[in-house]
Amino acid sequence: MIDSAAAPAISLVGVRKSYGRQVAVSGLTLEIPRGELFAFLGPNGAGKTTTIKLIVGLLQPDAGEVTVCGRHIGSNGLAAKAALAYVPDQPFLYEKLTGREFLYFVAEMYGLGRADRDQMLGSLIRRLDITEFLDQLTESYSHGMKQKVVLAAALLHRPTVLVIDEPMVGLDPRTVRSVKDLFTEHTRAGGTVFMSTHTLDIAEALAGRIGIIHRGELIAVGTLDELRRKARCERSLEEIFLELTEVGDG
Amino acid sequence: MADSAGILASTPRLGLLLRVRARAVYNRGVQAMADAPIRLATALFLVGLVWIGLYGLFDLVFKQLSRTPLEATVAIPMVFNFFFVAMLALLAFSNAIISHGALFGHDEASYLLTLPLAPLDVVSLKYLESLVLASWSVVLGGLPLMFAMAGMTDQPVFYVLFLAFFFAFIPIPASLGMLLAWAVARFFPRRLTRAATITAAILLILTIASALRALRIGDTAAEVWLRSFLNRMGFVQSALLPNNWVAAGIDHAVHGNFTEAVRYLGVTLANAFFLSWLAVTIVSKHFDAAYDRATSGRSGGRRLAAEASGGPAGLVFCYLARPLRLVAAKDLRTFLRDPAQWSQLTILFGLLVLYLTNMPTLRLEFSASGWFLVIPFLNLCAVSLILATFTCRFVFPLISLEGQKLWLIGVLPMRRGRILLAKFAFSMTVTLLVAVGSMSLAAYMLHLDVVWTTIHLVVTSGICFGLCGFSVGIGARLPVFGQSNVARIANGLGGTLNLLASVALVAIVLAGVGVATWRCRNVSPNTLPDARSLFLCAASVGTSITAGLWALRLGARHFDRIQV
Repeated sequence: MIDSAAAPAISLVGVRKSYGRQVAVSGLTLEIPRGELFAFLGPNGAGKTTTIKLIVGLLQPDAGEVTVCGRHIGSNGLAAKAALAYVPDQPFLYEKLTGREFLYFVAEMYGLGRADRDQMLGSLIRRLDITEFLDQLTESYSHGMKQKVVLAAALLHRPTVLVIDEPMVGLDPRTVRSVKDLFTEHTRAGGTVFMSTHTLDIAEALAGRIGIIHRGELIAVGTLDELRRKARCERSLEEIFLELTEVGDG
Repeated sequence: MADSAGILASTPRLGLLLRVRARAVYNRGVQAMADAPIRLATALFLVGLVWIGLYGLFDLVFKQLSRTPLEATVAIPMVFNFFFVAMLALLAFSNAIISHGALFGHDEASYLLTLPLAPLDVVSLKYLESLVLASWSVVLGGLPLMFAMAGMTDQPVFYVLFLAFFFAFIPIPASLGMLLAWAVARFFPRRLTRAATITAAILLILTIASALRALRIGDTAAEVWLRSFLNRMGFVQSALLPNNWVAAGIDHAVHGNFTEAVRYLGVTLANAFFLSWLAVTIVSKHFDAAYDRATSGRSGGRRLAAEASGGPAGLVFCYLARPLRLVAAKDLRTFLRDPAQWSQLTILFGLLVLYLTNMPTLRLEFSASGWFLVIPFLNLCAVSLILATFTCRFVFPLISLEGQKLWLIGVLPMRRGRILLAKFAFSMTVTLLVAVGSMSLAAYMLHLDVVWTTIHLVVTSGICFGLCGFSVGIGARLPVFGQSNVARIANGLGGTLNLLASVALVAIVLAGVGVATWRCRNVSPNTLPDARSLFLCAASVGTSITAGLWALRLGARHFDRIQV
């Protein structure tokens, strides 16, 4: 096992996952270093969410290995999960807890001291603008409000790796801006963001590297310029995406 | 960054999870007291009433038995043996269902699996949760039994001892249930889970059928039958079964043999702890693999798309106008594809059919005057109450479930209130089919004459009409849009009101038919009832239909005005 401090934030080697006869992810090899914001793109049903679930340990690969900060997600899952935070596309909150109670629960789960928790929470509450509803039961929240609280919970313990499925859905423009800033600050501080999204302009603006998965296979990975070279065009990410996934269809 | 947090993650977090649970329960209680104090008070009052009623019943039974000490010596251990063996099966089954949902079905399990939590903590939490959720009703029913038994002895120590027996027993079926749930998730592919559920339901019905066969009296004398019955059920008293430890312990305690009683309590407790440890250890050790297997392949099989006309389901509603036919056919297809709906209806009416087909074995003289109408009337009551349960649980939420598709219904080229007709047609078709089928079977098994068979079938149809009208109408008048959980819709204010209205309607209709039945108690079969009795039955049916129509009209008017 590689020393965890020197290991890449996320590493997938020859990962394969199928649901019955349907292959969701096939031979996926991908390495994401620390301090990178990686955007993971793909058409619907391409295998993005399956890949994310494999990274966070919700699914086990049929073949291959997944490690987070050098820790095997299967055999050393606890240590790997302590280093990551996951925000699913459908945020989960305990309905009969208030937002604040939920955030306190997460803080305690990750062993944060009270002072540390309050300091971090104060900053996140202000930046994500969640003061107004934080003391209401989460069952009354809209999708956007839930998304904000879950994002706060994910960032609360300063994870090394942040894995997010569709982070901007349901958020107002001001919060989208705040989240972008938070992601940028997170990567500058040495953290990693693995973001699956259909919002190509956000991927274009934020991502250091972009990966495109199609029918379970990683068909392209690199910076925007590298993708342009691969697609042999000087166009926007949208057009590159359409070009590459069309080739995949052919 | 949290790279060094790995060590922190290995510390147990069960206490934290339990504290969060306790907080959620506290918040729920505070919310219930603030939002619906009357409902909460009514629920607590009714629970208290049920508890006192059960205590009174058990007390009466034990006092009756104690009048004949010889019979009591034989019967009381037998009562406890059968009670606890039934609890063993029922609790194992309900724990299996709850554990499977909690470990492999709910969003919370997915969330907890992404946290730095040991599977042991997650599984322990879910085990305790299942233990409480599956057992509370048994505790409610079982405690009066234990208290009634303790009350016969006039020694306070018995209360403590019997309670200890009760609580020592409950973890045993809970452990078996959790192991069963894990085994289904681990060894059956997702697609087979439904098949396994159906098989389990069939096995349950077959077990009850077999038990009923064991109870069959036939032509033998009572003493011979009793001996034969006890021989057949001898396996229940096996020394290896936990029900026998509890029954033997209580029996020893009643006879003042405390040492033996405490020994049996120790045996029960030791096994409860051992099985709980075994279940939690096995499941947590293999939890990741089971979760992966249970959740991989949820894409489901492909299904043939229905024709634009609604396909075969549309044929059932050929009498409706085309747009309504499509909506009703869609509802029927949804019903048939949702095991939660059709399985509950199947189990409820399956048990009723079992009971009906076994009626002749009771050797009651149905043809004797006074009896030939009483049993069919009681059957009518049972069918009506089951119908009320079904319509309140599944028909009432139909309109609310359309909430998220109101944008679609709102732009359809027809009056929005007409949607209610489609919902009504769908629910009438399903309920009429099973209710009239059950009542026809009951009439056939009891050789009921044509006149009263016709009356009962007409009354059943009238009750179906009223109950479906209530559930659809009140469902449209007091909808819960934005909620996709059927149980929560049915448990809301509108659902509770609908339940009360439905039970009241059934009570009114059955009161009318009941009076008519009483008036005709001395009439010979195949004789027309007198005019007043006929009028009472007709008025009952008329009341039900009028009430149903009124509720439908009320709901349609409101539904027309709802802003999309």
